[in-house]
Amino acid sequence: MIDLKSLEDKTVWQRWEYFADTQPDKTAIIHWEAVGKNYRWTYKSLLETANKFSNRLKQIGVQKGDVCAIVIRHNPLFYPFYMGIVGVGALPTVLVYPNPKLHYLKFQHGLVGMAERSGLDWIFTEKELDKIIRPLIVSRRRINTGLFFPLEWDIKDSIAGKGNAELAEIRTSVKMKDPMLLQHSSGTTGLQKPIVLSHSAIVNHVNNYGKTIHLSKDDVIASWLPLYHDMGLIAAFHLPLAVGITTIQMDPFQWILAPSLLLNAISSEKATLTWLPNFAYNLMADKIKEEELKNVSLRSLRMLINCSEKVRSDSHEMFYRKFSEYELHENTLTTMYAMAETTLAVTQSNVGKRATEITVDKFALARGIVSSTDNKNKIKTCVSSGKLIDGCELKVVNERRDTVANDRVGEIAVKSVSMFDGYRNYPEKTSEVFDEEGWFYTGDLGFMDDDDLYVIGRINDVIIVAGNNIYPEDIEDVVSKVESVIPGRIIVFGEEDVVLGTEQVCVVAETKYDNEIELQKLSMDIIKVGMSIDVNIHKIYLVPPRWLIKSSSGKPSRKTNKQRISDNIDKNVWCNK
Amino acid sequence: MISQRLKIVICNELNLNPNLIDLYNNTEANEIPGWDSLNHANVIVAIEKNYELRFTGLEILKCKNIGDLQNLIELKIVKS
Repeated sequence: MIDLKSLEDKTVWQRWEYFADTQPDKTAIIHWEAVGKNYRWTYKSLLETANKFSNRLKQIGVQKGDVCAIVIRHNPLFYPFYMGIVGVGALPTVLVYPNPKLHYLKFQHGLVGMAERSGLDWIFTEKELDKIIRPLIVSRRRINTGLFFPLEWDIKDSIAGKGNAELAEIRTSVKMKDPMLLQHSSGTTGLQKPIVLSHSAIVNHVNNYGKTIHLSKDDVIASWLPLYHDMGLIAAFHLPLAVGITTIQMDPFQWILAPSLLLNAISSEKATLTWLPNFAYNLMADKIKEEELKNVSLRSLRMLINCSEKVRSDSHEMFYRKFSEYELHENTLTTMYAMAETTLAVTQSNVGKRATEITVDKFALARGIVSSTDNKNKIKTCVSSGKLIDGCELKVVNERRDTVANDRVGEIAVKSVSMFDGYRNYPEKTSEVFDEEGWFYTGDLGFMDDDDLYVIGRINDVIIVAGNNIYPEDIEDVVSKVESVIPGRIIVFGEEDVVLGTEQVCVVAETKYDNEIELQKLSMDIIKVGMSIDVNIHKIYLVPPRWLIKSSSGKPSRKTNKQRISDNIDKNVWCNK
Repeated sequence: MISQRLKIVICNELNLNPNLIDLYNNTEANEIPGWDSLNHANVIVAIEKNYELRFTGLEILKCKNIGDLQNLIELKIVKS
């Protein structure tokens, strides 16, 4: 265990300075490259470069409290640049680099939406995006100050004596309660929720969660998770650097093409911890070939932590079966329940023990009742997300926000010492999710059993694809504009994909078309419009006019129509699969 | 030049009508409707099955577009 007591009142930057002073030559970050040489940052070299970036940022006018968006792909300079922003007391916010499929106007729309909500002051990106982002700056649409390309900067001589003194003054003025970073919740449009976390929230989380998972100075974290995602940013970046251990960072795009990269990195660097969304277990178990695992040993791993989407028992089992011959221990299969609003973790399953599983009656569970059954046709296996970590409280409530009995399903509400301070510039949303006692209502459904939390779904219709939240209304909006789809007569829902271990997006749309060629063409147009907002629409159901049943609000009901599709009895339904 | 065989394998896996899709050497995977990161592995497996070949993740990673993938297939066929 790492003793963090002496660092409890240190800001995130001060912790980085502490480790650069006390263990200068220890590897901080291994920037992993699938092809080519990895780049290793020591704590000393990382902080020196971060200092140079801080100085340059100050020279261009970045002020304490400014919000600095970073839109940069996998690059070794990303890390010290991010830290350099923290070093001037500004707030880094990591944004997803636009996928080529994403229409540039949608990217601009998303950026403007974030700027209007979060007040982005600066954008730091790659030259390739200049022509897309520059018009937003010129028109002054709330991206206030400037667009810069830090990977092009020559920072060799950017540190000066005077600059150092000014930076020291700024850093001393930063207090634990001051905002440290800004994260944006997942989503496909500019309606993402901006979450500000303070130094105190991050540090408290590191201390409490580090204790829960028995973090030691010998731990090494391996991660392919994107740093715009809370699990990647907090678990695999802030956590290791705030306790002085090593983290391996790989490119998510490279990992998805060659998932064996993660296991090769774990084996060669003797990594001990990795966080994964559930689909990654299926993908690795199913797609990695034996010839890609020559000399791979997973013996060093002490925890694989499943989080960010529903944990599936089958996924753990298939992963263990595949990799046990590579010295993977069954007791490494653990789970976590987490969210960006609480910095990260709320619960974690026990160290050194495979996450607990229980079987319940799935039909009773659908009615909100937790009961056991011996009938094999009714059994559903639920995987525990573990017990509360220090600094967190949790209750499961009904629609009136009263606590329910342990054999009932309800909404999960949490309190945490690492709670965010509310959605930035979004008081109406903040007051929606908090009550007067400080409970945060998560929108997740679950139940408690023997002090273990089981998360089984969402109250709203959010679809979670590979750990990313997708809002059905975003897709309904764009599909509604496709020619020959009847406007407003669309529903979108998530469907469980057992093979992939995640959900997939399905669209039901009304159209007057009824011949095969026209329906195929329309289906293609719907897939393409999904691509324009970076959403892969998996299944398309085309139905005749007035097929969709409306809810009491007058809009087509997602729940009822999903059920009709699942019942699979209407011959008027055309499907692309 | 992308072969009709490769085009049909890709379209079948993604449930696309081959007559509605144009594939060129410089077409990138992310330009093809339905070919996203989750479906990527399934497309590769379908190609492996059809051509009775095996790719490693790193070989696939080096393919920048469909033309590269076609070349990789041809190279493997010659070697086998």
